[in-house]
Amino acid sequence: MMLARVADSLYWLGRYIERAEHLSRLSTVMLNATLDQTDTGAEAVRIALSAVGETELSAGAFEAAKGLVLDRSDANSVVSSLSRARENARQVRDQITTETWERLNLLYLKVIDRNAGRDFADNSVTFLHDIIADVHLFKGAADTTMSHGESWRFMMVGMYLERAQLIASLLEACFAEGAPKVNDHLALVSLLRMGCALEPYLRVYTAEIEPRHILEFMVFDEDFPRSIRFATSQIEKHLSELARHVEATGRAAPERLAGRLKARLEFADVGELESQGAGELLTTVANECARIHQAIYETFVAYPLEMRLPA
Amino acid sequence: MAAKIQDIDDTPSLPMTGAAYLPGVAYDEMIAQGGDVRAHYAALQSRISTLGASELADRQRMLERSFLLQGITFTVYGADSATERIIPTDLFPRILPAQEWAKIEAGLTQRLQALNMFLADIYGEQQILMDGVVPRELVLGAPSYRREMQNLYVPHKAYANVCGSDLIRGQDGEFAVLEDNLRVPSGVSYMLANRDASKRTFPGAYREAGVRPVERYPDLLLATLKSMSADWRPNPQVVVLTPGVYNSAYYEHAYLARLMGVPLVEGRDLVVHDNMVYMRTTTGLRRVDVIYRRVDDDFIDPLTFRRDSSLGAAGLFNAYRAGNVVMCNAPGTGVADDKAVYAFVPDIIRYYLGEDAILPNIETFLCREPAQLSHVLDNLDKLVVKAVGASGGYGMLVGPHASAKERSEFADALKADPANYIAQPTIQLSTAPCLVDGRIEPRHVDLRPFILSGEKTVVTPGALTRVALKRGSLVVNSSQGGGSKDTWVLAEENGHNGNGHAEKGVAS
Repeated sequence: MMLARVADSLYWLGRYIERAEHLSRLSTVMLNATLDQTDTGAEAVRIALSAVGETELSAGAFEAAKGLVLDRSDANSVVSSLSRARENARQVRDQITTETWERLNLLYLKVIDRNAGRDFADNSVTFLHDIIADVHLFKGAADTTMSHGESWRFMMVGMYLERAQLIASLLEACFAEGAPKVNDHLALVSLLRMGCALEPYLRVYTAEIEPRHILEFMVFDEDFPRSIRFATSQIEKHLSELARHVEATGRAAPERLAGRLKARLEFADVGELESQGAGELLTTVANECARIHQAIYETFVAYPLEMRLPA
Repeated sequence: MAAKIQDIDDTPSLPMTGAAYLPGVAYDEMIAQGGDVRAHYAALQSRISTLGASELADRQRMLERSFLLQGITFTVYGADSATERIIPTDLFPRILPAQEWAKIEAGLTQRLQALNMFLADIYGEQQILMDGVVPRELVLGAPSYRREMQNLYVPHKAYANVCGSDLIRGQDGEFAVLEDNLRVPSGVSYMLANRDASKRTFPGAYREAGVRPVERYPDLLLATLKSMSADWRPNPQVVVLTPGVYNSAYYEHAYLARLMGVPLVEGRDLVVHDNMVYMRTTTGLRRVDVIYRRVDDDFIDPLTFRRDSSLGAAGLFNAYRAGNVVMCNAPGTGVADDKAVYAFVPDIIRYYLGEDAILPNIETFLCREPAQLSHVLDNLDKLVVKAVGASGGYGMLVGPHASAKERSEFADALKADPANYIAQPTIQLSTAPCLVDGRIEPRHVDLRPFILSGEKTVVTPGALTRVALKRGSLVVNSSQGGGSKDTWVLAEENGHNGNGHAEKGVAS
């Protein structure tokens, strides 16, 4: 049992944390790729920016990365995501452990520091590396100090739902119909890096880096924590646990929606993806995630009171 | 000794000798008249005198860093954005010997007991008003008097479950009560946070001093709150009601909820249905039995009190009247900490308990009395004048520190609405050593201990010491730039754990 408002905040806390990590990684990869004197750099910038929905490639890589990370007027930037994560954490300060809170607060103080812009300019790669490492510390603190009950599960649902959507749009930027084909080896490596997938991918497919395998790995791999299938099965698992406590389940029980998506990913095959293109499946993932989000609200947060008043 | 330290350390040391630390005319908590270190400060003083200035500055920074990291902050609204700041916190604890504390504890227990009896009386038979001990119009005309509370049953007659009284120590070294806070007093989280910090900052001195723990406050608070619930509800659901993250005491609300293990709710989480209070949870509506509300009376229920308030819940007061939920503190307790009623507290104690007040009041002039008003107007340069209903250091004139213009403006306000003001002599609050700009200097302090009252009355052996960090300033309120420090209440005399070395630490 927990307050509906609190569940909402924890869910968003998870989402914002995941978003901050993902954006930091996109920026790092983008900046690294542009260090080499090749055309790959431009390709990496295009992938990263179109993955976050930006179509204009006006500024240089550095300016673009700085915007993704430190632009406070952009609601989706790393600094905005961390501020919102922290604001949600403050709302539920009584639900998360001191260890977890301190990791997040420290990170927040770092990115809103008046010197953050200068630190980023001085050494952006280190700056971003530290943010990602701090996010990992936050997740580790949450995992090892919070009770794995309702609070933690709402945070996990938010985190994995955000992850599934972010990976889906990253892949859409490369494999959707109409997206420019990515064949360059280094650009594909950048793509894997943006999904934090390079090393795990190499262990499965070796250094033969092919678009088909990348799709297979990042959509269907059972064990890779950033594959859409893995994220979906986590969403389903946590939602099923959460649903056990709700006596009046709504029409669109979120755990059923998640289960359906999970089954779809389990039984899909790569051959099909090849012949029909990945676009349709990735769109389905995005739509289903949006429906799950909606169903979570209807079931746990914004349910009509009449249904729940004592008789 | 100072020279020896200097040999080891390049930075100038801050010897806590009479020569370097110069108390003024006020009573100093550490240095007695004549320059000797008071016995109960000996352990701390000797520890501090071995530390150099840079070491102390480092510890101070560490302390501030830790407060910032924990989010023990309040929000300052600036021109373009809101920023969070920590409340200035001083690293030197203030130390109280056991026998002084014993008197404070007895005095506060007596006082709260009498005030609760007073509240039960004025919201019941009103015997004290009929006997003319306290002027009727003073009570019934007070803005904090709540007619709605008349004849309402309050368990154990405990109206003020959480009380934070402000004590000061005058030049004679005696403690007196400056004001009682019976509405929604805050600061207890700072008491607890300061304690954590001082244990880390001065572990050796802390252990040697023999300090009584304050850590039990949250579970005593929970027990107090539970004791207020109807006994036919075996495992009462307690919640803390906060106005939300934008309230300056939000950190404290969240802190207490977390340490008690109860939900921290906002008004929008509550639903009142058939005079029962529920909170919206992920699994449906859940009954609430006891609300530790950190929202002022005016805002708890738009149906009963302020209609524009969205901080409480509609229908809450009716549910309370029906006995289906308990609010702590009870609405209307503010009438007992009204600054005009304050003047009568010694009489109130005598009336209900037949005892003299253990802790004296400060001499108080009621401006509503014409004779006292003219005395106040004649002596504005010597007095502190306060608006009756205000708190937090607002609506106040510190005569000796005010300009002639400020005094004459205040005089006009006084004449226009005399009943709204009281005046008290300017008291030289005692001073305690503080680290200010790299130097150890005396600063004025007060003392806010916390008293819990439900089935039983308990005083936590500790307090929030508030500090006026500006040199010479007597205003300690955090809303007026004051800071705070930890308060050590010693278990035994002279601060030694009964190991027979009590006299050793005395510098004489």
